[in-house]
Amino acid sequence: MTAAGNGRGGTQPDDGSLLLAVRDFFETVDPMPFDLPERIRFALALHDLEAEVARMARTVNETAQVARGAEESRIVTFDSDRLTIMIRIESNPDGTARVDGWLAPPQAHRVEMSMTDSSITAIADELGRFVFHSVPRGTGRLIVRPSASVDDERGDDPPYAVKCVITPALSLLADE
Amino acid sequence: MLTANQVSADDHYARIAGLVNDAKQGRREAVGELVPELSPLLWQVARSSGLSSSDAEDVLQSVWLNLLAHLDAIRTPASLTSWLITTTKREAWRVRAADRRQKPVDHEWLTAIPDAGADSEQRLIMKDEQRELWEALRSLPGRCQKLLRIVAFVPRPDYDDVAARLGMPRGSVGPTRGRCLDKLRSALDGEGGP
Repeated sequence: MTAAGNGRGGTQPDDGSLLLAVRDFFETVDPMPFDLPERIRFALALHDLEAEVARMARTVNETAQVARGAEESRIVTFDSDRLTIMIRIESNPDGTARVDGWLAPPQAHRVEMSMTDSSITAIADELGRFVFHSVPRGTGRLIVRPSASVDDERGDDPPYAVKCVITPALSLLADE
Repeated sequence: MLTANQVSADDHYARIAGLVNDAKQGRREAVGELVPELSPLLWQVARSSGLSSSDAEDVLQSVWLNLLAHLDAIRTPASLTSWLITTTKREAWRVRAADRRQKPVDHEWLTAIPDAGADSEQRLIMKDEQRELWEALRSLPGRCQKLLRIVAFVPRPDYDDVAARLGMPRGSVGPTRGRCLDKLRSALDGEGGP
């Protein structure tokens, strides 16, 4: 950006490039934290859903001996007032994660894995089981949407509360 | 002459207009998509109101949450921009008022910026042109400093509405902005010349 410096050259910077230089300057010396928009979006999503936030209850790391050697998996449990979500996270050979989950009590809900710039959806079966076969490395959070939104036949009077349940963000692959 | 900046400003404006419409029609994710577009502006508004970084983060978050309840009042992208600026300033004011009892507040807004003259590390980070620009900005009247800092982040078509929020008569941000830019240009010239 030469707009700020070319005064001595005779040609004066036009308003547009001068303002761009000012913007550049403030973005350098006082930048907004890069992850602030994402945190705000998370707060908006929570607010929008009137979601219930599940607490992370337990994490268990287990090492299973399989044919190729030790394979890490991690079991994480989230509790909320109406729902317990248990997931097992395993590494796929390609570096992605496989996530198997169970909802208790068993309910056929839509389960969403929401990551920074994408999200994937799975439908839990009547036993409350769901699976994400390939989740990119990074952090994500689960959003469990009530089955009323999966099956509209339930109409206006779903048998249980319609609030979503959302988990805190969790790292999908254990680094240790 | 249509510059690249103007073209991208127009694209930006069209994109925001679309998102505002979507949000009003109930696509709430559209509000989330507006966040990265307009938060950099609100960050500068909050920081130039004298807030610490962590207070500015809290204020931005509550401003956006606030917007969800006020979408009906937003008609155009310009009115969204001014609503966000006004609310950010008001929230910043409230936070500062609550804070004032606890610690003295420096009213010189440029002190929110690292002191490039004194801090050798910052000298390295800032490009030469930016250091010149910083010196030039500091020599301007406070009103101009603040106006340019905020206006530099505002999409061009929103200027008029934003003018009112900066305490200027509607329609005057253009001339005022022009005067401030002229002052900045001569300050830069003075520095670069003999």
